[in-house]
Amino acid sequence: MRTAVLGVIALIPLGAQAVDSDLVKRGEYLARAGDCIACHTAPGGKPMAGGLAIPTPVGTIVSTNITPSRVHGIGDYSLDEFGSALRAGIRRDGKHLYPAMPYTAYANVSDDDVKALYAYFMQGVTAVSASPPETKLAFPFNIRMAMAAWNTLFLRSEPFRTDPASSTEWNRGAYLVRGLAHCGACHTPRNVFMAEKQSRELGGGDVGPWYAPNITSDATSGVGGWSEEELMAYMGRGDAAGKAQASGPMMEAIDNSLKYLSKGDLRAIAVYVKSVPPLRDTGDSRPAYGWGAPADSLESVRGAALPASLDQMSGPQLYDAYCATCHQAQAQGSFDGRMPALFHNAALGRTNTNNLVMVMLAGAERGEAREVLMPGFASELSDVQVARLGSYLTKRYGNPQATVTPKQAERLRRGGKTLQIVVVVQAATALAGLVLITALVVFLRRGSAKRASMRR
Amino acid sequence: MAEAKSADFVVIGSGIVGSLTALKLVQSGASVLILEAGPRVTRAETVARFRNSPERSDWMSAYPLRPWAPHPKYHPEDNGYLVQAGPYPYPAEYIRQVGGTTWHWAAHAWRNVPNDFKIRSLYGIGVDWPLSYEELEPFYQEAEEIMGVSGAPNTGSPRSKPFPMEPVAEPYAMRRIRERLAPAYPVVTNTTARNSRSYGGRPACCGNNSCQPICPIDAQYHGGLAAASAEAAGAKLIPNANVYKLDHDATGRITAALYYDPEKSSHRVTGKTFIVAANGIESPRLLLLSASDKFPRGLANSSDMVGRNLMDHPSTSLIFDADEELWLGRGPQSPSSINTMRDGPFRARHAAYRLDFTNISRVDSATKALIAEGVYGVEFAKRLRHSAAHELNVKSVLEVLPNPEHRITLSAEKDSMGIPKPQAHYAIDGYTRKGHERARRDYQRIAQLMGGTNLRYSDDYANNQHICGTLSMGRDSHASVCDGWGRAHDHENLFLAGTGIMPTAATVNSTENAVALALRTAHHIVTGK
Amino acid sequence: MEPRNSEKITSPCHRGRRLVLRSLLGTYTASFLPWALSQPPIDAGPGAFLALSVLLTARQSLDGEQAAHLYDALLADDPAFPSAARSLLSLIKERNIDPLHLQRVLDREKSPLAPLPRKVAMAWFMGVVGAGDKARVIAYEKALNAVIVSDVLKPPTYCYGAYASWTKKPT
Repeated sequence: MRTAVLGVIALIPLGAQAVDSDLVKRGEYLARAGDCIACHTAPGGKPMAGGLAIPTPVGTIVSTNITPSRVHGIGDYSLDEFGSALRAGIRRDGKHLYPAMPYTAYANVSDDDVKALYAYFMQGVTAVSASPPETKLAFPFNIRMAMAAWNTLFLRSEPFRTDPASSTEWNRGAYLVRGLAHCGACHTPRNVFMAEKQSRELGGGDVGPWYAPNITSDATSGVGGWSEEELMAYMGRGDAAGKAQASGPMMEAIDNSLKYLSKGDLRAIAVYVKSVPPLRDTGDSRPAYGWGAPADSLESVRGAALPASLDQMSGPQLYDAYCATCHQAQAQGSFDGRMPALFHNAALGRTNTNNLVMVMLAGAERGEAREVLMPGFASELSDVQVARLGSYLTKRYGNPQATVTPKQAERLRRGGKTLQIVVVVQAATALAGLVLITALVVFLRRGSAKRASMRR
Repeated sequence: MAEAKSADFVVIGSGIVGSLTALKLVQSGASVLILEAGPRVTRAETVARFRNSPERSDWMSAYPLRPWAPHPKYHPEDNGYLVQAGPYPYPAEYIRQVGGTTWHWAAHAWRNVPNDFKIRSLYGIGVDWPLSYEELEPFYQEAEEIMGVSGAPNTGSPRSKPFPMEPVAEPYAMRRIRERLAPAYPVVTNTTARNSRSYGGRPACCGNNSCQPICPIDAQYHGGLAAASAEAAGAKLIPNANVYKLDHDATGRITAALYYDPEKSSHRVTGKTFIVAANGIESPRLLLLSASDKFPRGLANSSDMVGRNLMDHPSTSLIFDADEELWLGRGPQSPSSINTMRDGPFRARHAAYRLDFTNISRVDSATKALIAEGVYGVEFAKRLRHSAAHELNVKSVLEVLPNPEHRITLSAEKDSMGIPKPQAHYAIDGYTRKGHERARRDYQRIAQLMGGTNLRYSDDYANNQHICGTLSMGRDSHASVCDGWGRAHDHENLFLAGTGIMPTAATVNSTENAVALALRTAHHIVTGK
Repeated sequence: MEPRNSEKITSPCHRGRRLVLRSLLGTYTASFLPWALSQPPIDAGPGAFLALSVLLTARQSLDGEQAAHLYDALLADDPAFPSAARSLLSLIKERNIDPLHLQRVLDREKSPLAPLPRKVAMAWFMGVVGAGDKARVIAYEKALNAVIVSDVLKPPTYCYGAYASWTKKPT
């Protein structure tokens, strides 16, 4: 469904350009790296035809049709116009894109890669003759012009510059991470104007109800203790034994994008990530995957009746009834590793337990076939049970300082509708910044107009 | 939330059949109310109860008995709810709870073979069904797509479309049995409602080996899922509503269902059409309980056939030790069988049967046997491992013919709600016994092929709770209770659904048949076709 | 059938018992069987139970916590258990009865102690104490019958592994 179909490779109507299938293939690979499909495809919709409604606190942004349809998509874009939209956030008609489109990251993309992407979008994607609904935000967020001011402050508009002092591999990794893979969109915290704080690159950020963790090179708070192979396994499969398993938005990023990358590119990303300046989070005494050991509380469960009201089930009873089946009685996981151990697992080791709650509620799915790796328990566990079970898990098998509260479960449950893509916070935070900029611009304009009128 | 006291359709029983019928009806735009005698249950608590049960081999111990919706219980002793009038006991187990009995099944989901529909015409025994395989075929397919069914191809039931998924992966033990029994006996993967891949938002099987009494991960379909889907689609379900009577008007039209709540207060629910899907014992019981001046023999019973022709698939078996290590207990409980004796001219003389190989872990049964024998110490571990690794069990699934003397009636005894208990009159006929004798020779041969020693035959006819026949469908209103669509001959607005309406038992576990028939009934109600 | 609520094992009496069993187990290995039989029991009931447990299970090591729980349950089920255990142990010592023959001897002689080995065996191997309505599960995953086959099998209801992991020959 979401797999872009290398369907009809036709001659471009504009000019008699021969099809360069190698270029198109390279463009397809780069589009995977950029994960265009995740936003530009509606659930069950045609690839790249847009229509995904992205809810933000300021309104719903609807992704556009970027198939080569001339009326409904980008079929009329020239190479320059395509590059401008991708790297500067400016549409063919001159209007600004909202940074829900991560053009601030794509600004890094090289001219050669833009060319390949262009070839792919023009020749490798099937045109779809349908327009998704227009994005219509309420005032003042409908003022796209204000993006110009925001861009002035926060958009670095040159493509990536190679660092001659670093290895080819490092440079490739930097190019991908800062550019097409746009990891910072989730993993980098944002400033008051809601742009990525470059000084805290990959230091961790909220993604709606999920948390994109610190993946700097810090050995305690980041991935300094991960080997390159472990990072590659995580990015390629979503599973690094003894470290972590992906779920939620990260699993989607792996499914739609990272799992398609070459081993070389994954290693380059790993090399770069492990070089990002270390950021230690206060309160971290050991890595998130460094907690816990095999243990059970069976003595308090075997031979004990269930309470009359199941909401009164103890932590060990909840574990027995809901988790032990797969994660086993001592949380050691299945002998083939398919069901992971819960100790030495980042899911239970962070003091921020949002991801733990989200996994308990939503489970983990993989791939187009929607393979159920772990079922979600949202419809089976009450907020009280989520809190009691979650706190039992962290105490018994993870970081004992970490807790889960019923209020937290309720909040995440409400904001926790599993989103197709990660950009909720991008859009929300960027638009919050927009309000400030707009106000500033308007104020300044009015001020200068007043002064001008006063001078007359 | 105010209780709905009236609906277009009132469905009695929220098991797999009642719930899927309700689902289809509510999807057509009608209002549907499901009345269920027992409580809601969760999968998680059932898993917890099983692990804490001191009598794990009694699978019913994971499903506590509720006094306001009693069901049969046989361990540690018979609770006497299903009165046994003999001469042969009919100790069927079933569960009165939301989702019914398929919470706890091995998920066998076979179709009949075409000849099963006309054994009278072909073999001069039993009765013909009032419909053909071809007429039921599209509904078999629909049932399989709802439940997520897969199995070996070519087991005698023609298909117009493939199974929704590949057959479940074959356990090592079953592969060895299949390899060693070939070519004398072709062993095939069972047709089951068990996920070989993620399906319906539910994961694939991960080999919990506890299908009966509970699949801890919902890898197999069950009535609980059906009930949830009916409710999600808009059907209203009232649990803890023990329906004890159906009312009718002067014309014989069913007008209301009366039920007791757990405090034994009576409630009345009205509707335009009523569907009784309360299993093959509770459904005829309800019809008999609803006797009135106008219908002194009970509802839908001008034929006097309600409750009669009680059937099951009894099992005899052989346990033996194979000469190689196989280790039953890895993977699903019931993965493979032999299906070559389901049909043939021999059916004129003796019962057809299937031969099932169990994959249920031997550990508990071997433990108890060794302790009973007084084996301890080093010897215990050695012999436990030996039994766990070598022990095999093959059992028959025998056909039983309809016999009006085998029946469910109302007992003089009353249950904990003061309602007359169901009573079973049953026996094993010579037809079935002769089938067993044939099967016994197969057991012997199978043991030989597996290098078997320590052969332990069980010639008792164990009950498999496939409760058929008690509401038999048919064309002749003097000899049957309902027509081919389950509509009661005597009451235009009363439909019967479930295994009870099957007029013959054939040789396969009855759930898929019952579900397909119910889907066809719903289709008929909605479209008139 | 619902098991009764387990007694909370927090009373000093229980804790003391636990300590005894743990300390006895701490010094025990299978090869010390004669030693175990010859020791004057510190606390007679638990000591006798432990010696019987070792005899009947023939395990290299036994879990002290599990032993304590089983003992508590056996005592709660039958207050006469400790004295019966002591008597049986004495009988075994006196007549030098081999565990292989123990049950047969007791059954043949219609000894009043005949039910005892089965009780201890059920407790350790099945994890069940008591009978009929009074029966209770004390251990399931850790019951010895599960432990003895744990290299190949998982207790029913626990995932075996990934889908199709059961197709391979057990090693």
